[in-house]
This record gives sequence, structure tokens and C-alpha cells, in this order.
Amino acid sequence: MTTETQTPDAQAPARAGRPSPGSLVRSLLEDRVALLVVLLVLLVAWFFALSAGGYLVAPYDLSYMASALESMVPLAILGLAQLLVIVSGRGGIDLSVGAMVSLVGMAFGFAYGEWGWSFLPALLLALGAGVVLGAVNGLLVAYLRVPALIATLATYYAYSSLALISNDNAPISTRPLQDLNSITRAVDLGGLAVPRQVFTFLLPVAVVIWLLVNRAPYGRRLYAVGTNEVAARYASLDVARVRFTAYTLSGLLSAVVAVITAAQFASARPDAGTVGNGMALPAITIAVLGGVAIAGGVGRVGGVLVAALLIVWLNAGILLYFEGSQGSQYQLFALGAVLLVSALFNALVLRRRGAT
Amino acid sequence: MSAVATTARPRRVTARAIEGQELVLLGVLAVLWLVLSFAVDTFFTASTLQDLMAAVAPVAIVGVGMTAIIVTGGIDVSVGSAVAVAMVVVGQLVRDSGLPFLPAVAVAVAVGAALGLINGVLVAYGRVHPIIVTFATLNLYRWLAFQIFGGEEVNNIPGTLAALGGGAEGRTAGLPNAFLLAVVLAALMWAYMRYSPTGRHLYAIGNDAHAARLQGVRVTRRLVSVYVITGVMVGLAAVVFIGGGGRIGQAVGTGFELQVIAAVVIGGTSILGGRGTVFGTVLGALLVGTVSAAVTLLGWPSELTALFIGVFILVAVGVDLLRQRRRQSL
Amino acid sequence: MTESEVLLRLTGIRKRYGGVQALRGVDFDVRSGEVHALVGENGAGKSTLIKIISGAETADEGTVEMAGQRLSGNTSAALDAGIATVYQEPQLFGELSVAENIFIGRELTRGPLVDLPTQRAKVDELLDRLGLDRTLADVRVADIPVGEQQLVSIAKAFSHDPKILILDEPSAILTDREIDTLFQVVKGLREHGVGIIYISHRLDELSVIADRVTVLRDGEKVAAHPMREVTIRRIVELMVGHVPAGPPAGHRVAADVEPALEVSGLGRRGRFQDVSLAVRPSEVVAVYGLIGSGTGPLARALYGIDPADSGTITINGQPVSLPTPQAAARTGIALLPGNRKAQGVFGIKSIAFNISVAHLHLLRRLRLWVDRRREQQVATDFIKRIAIKAPGPHTPVNALSGGNQQKVVLARQLVERPGVLVLEEPTQGVDVGAKEEIHKQILALADQGTAVLVVSSDLLEVLELADRVLVVRAGSIVASFGRGASQADVLAAAAGDESGEGTTLDAARAAVSQEVESR
Repeated sequence: MTTETQTPDAQAPARAGRPSPGSLVRSLLEDRVALLVVLLVLLVAWFFALSAGGYLVAPYDLSYMASALESMVPLAILGLAQLLVIVSGRGGIDLSVGAMVSLVGMAFGFAYGEWGWSFLPALLLALGAGVVLGAVNGLLVAYLRVPALIATLATYYAYSSLALISNDNAPISTRPLQDLNSITRAVDLGGLAVPRQVFTFLLPVAVVIWLLVNRAPYGRRLYAVGTNEVAARYASLDVARVRFTAYTLSGLLSAVVAVITAAQFASARPDAGTVGNGMALPAITIAVLGGVAIAGGVGRVGGVLVAALLIVWLNAGILLYFEGSQGSQYQLFALGAVLLVSALFNALVLRRRGAT
Repeated sequence: MSAVATTARPRRVTARAIEGQELVLLGVLAVLWLVLSFAVDTFFTASTLQDLMAAVAPVAIVGVGMTAIIVTGGIDVSVGSAVAVAMVVVGQLVRDSGLPFLPAVAVAVAVGAALGLINGVLVAYGRVHPIIVTFATLNLYRWLAFQIFGGEEVNNIPGTLAALGGGAEGRTAGLPNAFLLAVVLAALMWAYMRYSPTGRHLYAIGNDAHAARLQGVRVTRRLVSVYVITGVMVGLAAVVFIGGGGRIGQAVGTGFELQVIAAVVIGGTSILGGRGTVFGTVLGALLVGTVSAAVTLLGWPSELTALFIGVFILVAVGVDLLRQRRRQSL
Repeated sequence: MTESEVLLRLTGIRKRYGGVQALRGVDFDVRSGEVHALVGENGAGKSTLIKIISGAETADEGTVEMAGQRLSGNTSAALDAGIATVYQEPQLFGELSVAENIFIGRELTRGPLVDLPTQRAKVDELLDRLGLDRTLADVRVADIPVGEQQLVSIAKAFSHDPKILILDEPSAILTDREIDTLFQVVKGLREHGVGIIYISHRLDELSVIADRVTVLRDGEKVAAHPMREVTIRRIVELMVGHVPAGPPAGHRVAADVEPALEVSGLGRRGRFQDVSLAVRPSEVVAVYGLIGSGTGPLARALYGIDPADSGTITINGQPVSLPTPQAAARTGIALLPGNRKAQGVFGIKSIAFNISVAHLHLLRRLRLWVDRRREQQVATDFIKRIAIKAPGPHTPVNALSGGNQQKVVLARQLVERPGVLVLEEPTQGVDVGAKEEIHKQILALADQGTAVLVVSSDLLEVLELADRVLVVRAGSIVASFGRGASQADVLAAAAGDESGEGTTLDAARAAVSQEVESR
């Protein structure tokens, strides 16, 4: 070899794994979940103060915060979907989640609202449809090696178009779907009315994904493939299958959101996940804010959940601070600013780590 | 000393006017138009073609800039929101202050360029992935547009900018001025990317930014420049949209970025950077516009357009991947 | 050749990296219009010397003079003085034409545009002077083979009008025909009075192309001769000196059993061909070859990374096909990859993660989750067993030294004792202590019955470990040696000296077929 390695490699000291003085600041910088929790506490305290000072149009209190969790459920679940595909590496991203929500929602709407299926078969149909749509993305990205951005942009178009065509651009809001709204009724929790789907959908999904990512063999493989695809291949991992599975799971999670959204709206809307900026953008924002590195291999379930909570309670506060449509506009501002600052911060932390 | 024959097999030469993907696109367009001319009597009429060209113009104009960005390995998903900002600013100025044509164009270009500059600086100096930066500015610019709208649509805009619109006063020799503008901009950009040093550097950056920097390419400066160029194009597209007449709704420009990116990708530009031409993008925009027009003319539900765009993106990328694989196996 | 003026003169160069004395007072000079070959074993100091000449490193002691002017050690000063370097990996841009690549960053312009005609004329002139085909100028670099890209790199370096041109292993990735072209180019440069420093492991090339040869060993210049006065055999002896081979490892008697791994007529187009070999349980066989000789691709084919396209592979008597690494792993083959950083480690992940990642099916409970306690236990055991210097199994691998990272990757191969272990460059870039430890582990594994195939370009390592050494040149096995072979014989065979007294090609083939028949 011409690269004669005369620099002794042994110079690099083994320096990790021990606590150092003043490590609180550093762990805040490097541990995204801890940082987000601190931000969350500060945010809530600030809104409480504003509320107490009478600056808000309505009180920002625990019951308001509890009811705001309703909008967290789809956001957090889709954030977890983005976590899976982004961690899988090679520019992983899924722009089609919103379109899948729309299309699966329509499938569910037809089955449950038009064809008179009972809930469970309709739910299974929806989940199966989500798996198929996700698998199409997975096939394109993992096996045909189409860049994820392009593949999911294309399927975003295709799925959202199919959703709109399926019922001539009209929502399905038959009686069964209107009644389905009951599954999103609040649960009384010691005086706090918490939306039911937090317990029936979000928590189970979060626990399952957490177990999958942190405890199951698949999680190991996923992080391995995202961290170093070549090394994963040399470690005899089936790289394409691992990545394919990530996109398929993203479809499955989108299907879960599709059912929740249909229940929340009491109707299956053909643009449920694509109206406005759609659901994909906020989901990606939450994943990045939660510390998921766009380069792959890095990201935690806890980070995504806390990030979702942060965004949701921030948005809820903004709605009370501004009057009328100003509130929802400032939510856009908050989303963009938070994404930008957290991404710049990510880059800064990475650079610092690289420099030491 | 005699020249050594290095290899015997025929060479692919760079100095060609048209790339493979562009030939394919031309073929697809020709077939599509042929089929449409049989299926729809009114397809090859002046008004249909004029509408088609006028509709294609904004996508092609912004696509010209987007091609340069994607060639450097970047992307800009904020152009839809940026168009909204430029439109509401210029729309209000034209309506309320009676801004004449040229100053209106200048304001639109300045606004677009400023927004592009913000993207460029964040990408080049912040070292954040362009898709994240522009996702963020997509939201921020949309908020900015809402602030300027002030809760109202912009109505009753005078026809100051009709020269760039789709109407009769917006045509020269029967061709929409907006389309001519797109062609001129594309030609300029094509020449820039093909024949100027800094234009060639964009491809080097897309191939290997680190190696390019080592060999004297001013990478940060080039990166900022392509986002600013795209910003300028956004301003011009905004003027074309306003010239098209009608009110400016609050949701204006939503989804525009995806149309532009689709046109660029269908035009054969590699999303991984380093490869692509403006000519391909114009053809890609024409294809998207033709499909959209065809769906309308054939009386199909307009929602089908998106499905076709999705399929065309996949076909274009698939063809490109196949050609690359064949190239590698040489 | 007449004595021409000395262009570049290095005097008393010394350089130390940490505790390693890389160069110990080396004198070196290059005259105009000569090809001066620089040879030496891995670690002899060639790269360091080149870095000092090109200004990438500064010498601790000694001077570098160009045409009598002393050079300050930085790259731009060296470039200005007319020293250009062509590295092994071409730094070209695929989408730009050859002409554009040559002028990137310093384009000739007319007004705002690139002055294509003038640039083209200069490139034509350049290609003519190098004896290259003019039509190359307009071709997109992505469309030409890697070998020709190397020639383009030389043309690019030459466009700076260098007085000294350094070619670092220019032939390693070239095909025979491209090497012919390369030689014509080099001869053309020589005619133009350029002084060329030519680094190569392929000694057979030197008699064709070099005028003088300088041999480095352990950071010292051991000889400098006009090429026509020395034989390849003599150069080889100078390179290896009389270093005794490492302590002979306990001589294992390979059981007279069926080979664990048997390969016959294996080939992959353009990489290696007609390779036949057999490794018995408890046997250590080394495949020795110089850079680019095809040994790396052979190792990768045996693990299904880049599968072979001809020939057969037999594991324990069963013919197998190895289209993927998963297939290879199922048959009990393990591979220690050659490039630790790119192919081996998951840098940000823990030691435990890195070891267990290929063995998750063993660490499952109820097929559902990873038994993390056992995972930690396995990692902790390995940290002790192969002396990985780390605080614990949670330490991220990035925080370890190169040698300890390599031990982690090795540990991954040892979790389930493999039937066949292929190691590609097992100790490249690791410190001496780690090297010893890794060697110890390899031999211990063989003692337990694993068939070991070491693929290496480190001669001493090969001789120390192997019961048999197979020498590969240009993709084929050309010689076979038993234990106790001399370094000079092995190196001579690998470097292309066919007059050597080592086993000849035919004898090697005969030995292999005999081996196959004897079972």
C-alpha cells in the first residue's frame, strides 16, 4: 500500500463514557431529548405566565393543553413514520405520507361508510392498503434505488390524485363515519378531558415503535443500515429489505393516521392529508426537530414525541395569543423558525463533535 | 511521436446539442401531440396552443433556476411560498399605488432575489441540508405572505402586467410573451451553464463539492448565486401569474414547487446533482403542461393530471437509471 | 543516458510522526529528463518522502531544493516551483469534458464565456505532446474507463508545465494496454526534459520505464542505482534486507481432511481469473499480491459482495453459490473487510452494537427482542479476550484507536466461530501491539479448526501467519510457497520476476490440482 500509516493510531485516546465536570450544559447540547424537555417546560411556563397576566384570549391551562393533544396524535405518528425512513439513510424521506393518509382514508371510508363493513375489517383493510402503498415506495427506493425524494414525490402525486378521483373529489360522511367520531371522545382523567385516541392510538403506536427501534433486532439493523450502508452489507445484513421495511412501515403508520383523521373529521375526506401544505411537511419538521439526522442512522422515538408535544403546545398557545386567522398564520412562522433553528443547531453540534 | 489509440470503441462526445433524455422527451411530446391532434379537434388551434404555452411559462421560468440548484446537488421547495410573497407585494403596489410595468417587474425581481438570497446564505454558510432549509423558509415565506395579505385577497388588479399575461395583449406574433420570456431565459441560462466558467463549476460542485473547492472553485459563492438566480426567476414568474389576471388568493402558489421540481426531474436532471440541462427542464415543463391540457381537453377529471405527473416522474427517473447502469457496465 | 542537470535535490531529510521515525536522513535527487523509480516495502517511507517533496508535509530536518532554490514546505510553493503530483485516485469531475477538467478553476475566457477554441487548442497540443488521442478532449470524463482517467490526471498535472512530475502508483488500476499507453506518455514527458518520480510496486515495470531506482527501507535510503545495473532480484533483496521473518508460529499440522474451502477456476471479469485454491480446517493460507493484483476482489467474491462470474466454490464438500453476503454467512464464511472505516465500523454506535449486529438471530428472545444482557456479556467477553482498550461495551467505536476498532470488527467475525474466515488486510493501519494481538487471535482460531484465508499485501505478515502462501499477480495465482519461504522469493514472484528460483506458475498449478485430487 502506498498509504503508509506511520501516524500511530493509538494516539486517539479513549475518552468517551465518563462523566466530566460541567457536563450538564454539554449533555443538554448533545442530548436532544433533554434539551427539548427543558424547552417544553420553559414554553409551558411562559404561556402560563401570559395566561395569568391576561394576555391570552382564553386561559392556557391544563385542560386546554389536554384538549390540544388531539392535533398531536396524527402529527406524532407521522413523525415516527419519518423517523423510520430518515434513519434508514441514503437521503431517506417520505413526502407521500399525507397522500397515503388521504387515499387510505378514502378506502376506509368506502368500506366502513359505504359498503357497510364493520369497524375491524375496515380497519384491517385500511392497514393493508397502507402497507401496500408504503411497499410501493419501498420497492422504488430500496430495490430500484430511486432517490427517496423523487420516488415519494411521484407517489405523492399519484396517491393524492387517486384519492381525489376515487369519489369525484367529494368526502364520504355517511352515518357510520359520523358515529365513528365517538372514538375520539375525551376521556375524563381526574378532571382533565384527554382525547381518547391518545390512549387508543398514539400510546400503543409509540410503544410498539419504541420497542421495534430500541429492542427488536430490526431496530439494530435499521440503525446499522442508516449509519454505514456498506459496513451493513459486509456484516451480512439485507440492506434493501431493511430499507424496504422502513417505507412499508411508514405506509402502515399513515394508514393508522388515516383512520384517526376520518374519525376526527367524522368523514373520509379525499384531501385529508394533502390540503394546504399537507401532513408530510409538519411530520418531517417534527422529526428533524426531534433530532433525527437527515444523513441517516441517528434519531430517537423520545425525541420525536417530545418535539411533537412542543409543536402542539406551542401552536395551541399561539392560537390563544393572536386573534382570528393570525394565530394559524403564526403557527407557520413558528414551524419554520423552529425547524430552521433546530437544523442549524444540529449542524453546529455535528461540527463541534467533528472538530473534537 | 504518433498518437496512441487509447480505446477502439466509439466515444460519446459532450459537445452535442441534445442529450439522450432530451431526445426521449422530444419523442414523447411528439407522440403525445400527434395522439391529441387526432383525439381532440381543437388541439392544434391557436387558442389551445397559446393557452398551453402561457400555462407552461411560470413553471418553465422557475424551472430554469431550479435546474441550476439541483445540478449543484441542492433543492428549493420554498419557491411556491416565495411566488406568493412576490405576488402579493407587487399585486398590492400595482393596485394601490398604480405602479407601472417596469418598476413592478423590478420590485418582483428584487423581492424574489432577496428571498433566494436568504435560502442561499443558509444553505452555503449554515451547512444545513437544502431540503431542510427550504422546508423552513417555505413556512416562513408563507407566513410573510399572509402578513402582507393582511387577511384579504388582492382583488381588482389593473391590467398593468397584461403584457405578460395569457390574454390578447400578452402576445407577440401570436406567441404569448410569457412563453417567449421563458424561452429567452432558458437560452441565457443554457448558455451560462454550458459556456461560462462559473456555469461549468455548478456541475463540478454537483459531482464533488470538496474536490471542486480544492481546485479553486468558489463553492459557497456559486451556491448562493444559484438560489439568488432562482429567486429572480420566482419574481418573474410572479409577474407572469399576476399578468394572467384574476384575484390573488391567500393560497396562491401552494404546490407550485412540486410542479417545478417535477418538470426538472422529468427533464433529465439528476436529483443527486452534477447532471442536467435547462433545455430538458423546458421540455419537462411542456410535457407537464401538455398532460394537464390534455386531461382538460379530453374531459377527464382534472385530478388525473397529478397521477400522470407522478407516473411520468417515475418513468423519467427509471429511464435515466437504466441509461446510467448501461453506461457503468461499459 | 548522459548526465543532465539535477532539478530536485533532497538532503538529509528526517521526519518523525509521534513515536515513529518515518525518514532517517534520506538524500534523493531527480535530474531533468529521467524517470527515477522510488521503491520500498509498506512503511518504508515512500509516501512521507513524496509528501515532503510536494509540500504536503514539512521535514523535521534536511532541505528540499529545486534548481538550487530552497523550497519552503507548502503545496503552493512546490507547485509554483514546478512540482506536480498525480495521486492514485483521479480527482476529476465526471460530467465535465476532459478539456474542461484540465482547465477547471483557471479557465481561459473571452468575455464572460470560456474561450473554448483556445482552450481546445491548448489541450490538443497537450494531448499531442503526451501522445494521447486528440478526440479525448471533448469526451465526458464519466464516459471513459478509470484507467484512461488516470492518463487524464497526468495530462492535467502536465498542463501546469511541471519540471518534476510525481506519479504515485500510476499503474495500479490500469489494464495492460493502458499501461502501454502510460509508458508512452511517460517516455514522452521524459523527452520533454521533465524529471519523473515513479512509485510502483510492480518491479517488472521498472526495467521498462525507469532510468534510476532508489530503494527505501525503514526510512533509510539503502541503495540508488542506474536501472540497467541491477536486476529485479537484487532490488527485491535490497527492499526486504535481511530482516528475519517473525517468530515462526507453532507449526500446525493440517489434518488430512477434506478442505473446508475449495475454489476452482474462479474468475470475475476484469479482476481475477482461473483461481484455484483449497484451505483445510486449522490451516492458514495466505494470498499475497501487490495493490491492484486482484486479491481484494477475490476476497470480496468469496463473501458474495462482488460475486464471481465463473468457477466453483465448495464448502465442506458441498458446492455453494454465493450471490450475496447473507448466502456466504449462511455457509459459515466470515470476512474481515479490508477498509475498516468504509466497510467495517458503525462509528457512532457502541462496541456492543458493532459486535452483535451480524449475529442478531443468536441474541433474540422469542424472535422478538434482542437479549441485551447477553449482548453486553458477549461484548465484555471480547473486550477482555482480545484486549480491546475501551472503558466498556457502551463506548462508541469512534472513540477508539484504529487498532482497537479493527479488533472490534474482528470480534464481530468471531462471535460464532466461522468455518472459514477470510481476512482482507487484517492489520493495515494498526499499531504494533494490536497487530500482534490480531495475529494471535487468527492463529488461535485456526487451532480451533477454522480454515483461515489471509489476503494481504504485507509480506512479513503473510510469512509469519501462513502455512502456505499463494502469490497473485495480474489476477492469477502465479506461485505457491510452503512455510519458511524467503521474503525475496515471494516478493520477486509477486513483482513479476519470473526468473526467480521460487515455484513457477506451472508448478503451482500442478500443486493445486494435486491437492484437489489427493482428497
